[in-house]
Amino acid sequence: MPAVETKGLAKQYGNICALDSLDLVVDRGELYGLLGPNGSGKTTTIEILTGQRIPTSGSVSVLDTDPVENPLDVRRSVGILPEREDPPSFLTPREYLQFVGDVRDISDIDARIEEWSGKLEFRGILDTLSTDLSEGERQRVMLAQVFIHEPELVFIDEPLVNLDPLMQAEVKDILTSYCEAGNTLFLSTHFMEVAEDLCTRVGIIADGELVTERDPQALEENGLLETFATEVGDREPVEAGRS
Amino acid sequence: MLIEEFRMHTSLFGTRRFAVFPVFIMIVVTGATWLLGLTGTSMDTVVAGIHLVVFFFGLQVGTAGLIGRDAMRDVLGDMTLLVFSARTLPISLRRLLSIFLIKDLVYYFLFFLTPIVTGFVPLVFVGELSATNLALLWLTVTGTFAFGAAMSLTVAGVASRSRGAVLAILAALGAGFIAGPVELVAYTPYGSYLDRSMAAVANGFVPLLVLLVAGPLAFEPSSDRSVRRIESDRFKQLRSLGDGMTARPLLEVTRSSGSVWKVAFSLGILFAVAALLLDRVAAATYIEPSAGIGFGTLLALGTFTTYNWVTQSDDPREYLRYPTEIGAVFRGKRRAFFALSLPMGVVYLAVAGLWYPVSELLIGLVIFPLVSVYVYGVTAYLTGFSASELLFETSLFAAYGVALAMVGTPLLVTSLSYSTAPTTSTVTAIALSVGAAVVGVLLSRRVGSRWQRKLRAES
Repeated sequence: MPAVETKGLAKQYGNICALDSLDLVVDRGELYGLLGPNGSGKTTTIEILTGQRIPTSGSVSVLDTDPVENPLDVRRSVGILPEREDPPSFLTPREYLQFVGDVRDISDIDARIEEWSGKLEFRGILDTLSTDLSEGERQRVMLAQVFIHEPELVFIDEPLVNLDPLMQAEVKDILTSYCEAGNTLFLSTHFMEVAEDLCTRVGIIADGELVTERDPQALEENGLLETFATEVGDREPVEAGRS
Repeated sequence: MLIEEFRMHTSLFGTRRFAVFPVFIMIVVTGATWLLGLTGTSMDTVVAGIHLVVFFFGLQVGTAGLIGRDAMRDVLGDMTLLVFSARTLPISLRRLLSIFLIKDLVYYFLFFLTPIVTGFVPLVFVGELSATNLALLWLTVTGTFAFGAAMSLTVAGVASRSRGAVLAILAALGAGFIAGPVELVAYTPYGSYLDRSMAAVANGFVPLLVLLVAGPLAFEPSSDRSVRRIESDRFKQLRSLGDGMTARPLLEVTRSSGSVWKVAFSLGILFAVAALLLDRVAAATYIEPSAGIGFGTLLALGTFTTYNWVTQSDDPREYLRYPTEIGAVFRGKRRAFFALSLPMGVVYLAVAGLWYPVSELLIGLVIFPLVSVYVYGVTAYLTGFSASELLFETSLFAAYGVALAMVGTPLLVTSLSYSTAPTTSTVTAIALSVGAAVVGVLLSRRVGSRWQRKLRAES
């Protein structure tokens, strides 16, 4: 069974169509990228796949579980990092990760905090109030909360945002080795180079529709950009909707 | 900023429901003054009461100064307000805060204060209030609201520099009040309603002008603060009160601007209102109400402010990303709510012991927690994570008002009947409180599923 599967998935916000009959299959072990312009439906897709929103119609399966019916079962097995999500302002990273450990029932949370703060190089700021951290430091803490319970599937909206070039390279390595260990990664991004560098397969979404899928490694240089321009650039602009 | 405020409210509640709110306020005020007239309450008492309510409301609005940018971001997500543009535009935070304060005054003047005063217009037609007094009421009610807002903003501003200074000011005010007789009212705009001489008007409005200038000047931008490191096991210690969902709001309340003092401050305002109300009722009706039932009830009704503080940093959608029911989040909030409100309530009941016999206040120790259970249940059920949305959402405001009145009114009536039938009143008050607590528990049990459903279906 695939890690993620949707059939005819649709989501309507009032008279705005965020998703229009989305059919998607992501196999286990894949590093799948959902690429699309702002407002194309990427965030809505992730929110439905993780049981945060109820679709208007269509079916969804994530790790053989329906997130609409059993959202908690899905969230137990996956890691989620939405775009522009910060750790709570008045907790330190250590306390926030302890909170995550508490919610996720992780018994050896302190050891895991040490491990992930080392991997993502934020051990030095573990006891600093999150409100006083830089954007990049906050993103590292949020990346740690994604992986700290060792999920088999992870959803990340813009994984490299706010990270410096060295940390970007570090995170790319972590994501790649995570998938090489048999896990699945579902990325959402509107940065072409992130999709090209990381993903084994990229789906291009526009106006809530999956317009094409490509293997970026099989494309020539700038091939993904050209595909994107062809598939998305010629479309009629639509009224701004949810992303 | 005015456009911003208007759009924020209309996007939260819908243009029509928001537009109905001033009309609703006007009707409530007209109805309340008519009902009070039926009970024989004098117009002077009604006018004093409306000033008190508006002052309290101003204080609450001014506590926005206690909410920093971070808390605002936690609540509103990526929403950016003009008041935060000091980082990108050549304008000082103090100037922005001044404009923000004026904006609030204009905004509340249009949508809250004017409808309140308009609610008194029928009294002019029936000859209960002169047109001159109505005009003056408009001025002093607006001034009183501004006085409350400027006062709490100033306290927040002084607190951002030195908490010791705040304690010193409060201690000096408290000492002056206890040592008395200090006619504090003369130094508020309400004083100008009572005495229309030039000297009285100056006394009533000069402190307001001073506070309007001092509030923004006193404010120390939080971005100037150094990086704060906290090496402690505080999360693990607080977790022992329940779980991580309990520890988190407690840490957020204690570490955000104003710390735990903002909870004490909010409940302290209610305590002062309760004390004045009991005093006024005794003076107007010649009946000595039960201080225990009165304080226990009014303080408990005031714990909605504590609920507001324990939910102030929440983006409810965050909890949808964890493998936990929203009900578990509310259970944590409930434990944090009681961990903060119960000790505060007991402290204020003890303070009331300075004026009232302790034996008479003991029943307050029973009434206060039981009614607080009800207030928690109703507030969580109706408002979820956004207690402040009560303001300007007509149907919600009405439902909440009715829910609190259903318990508050009979309890306050039993407090009045205490002097003639102490045993019956005590038993009735306890029975009413137990009944309210049962309703509160039942509502609390439904809160999680209700808000989980609403959040997931949210468009």
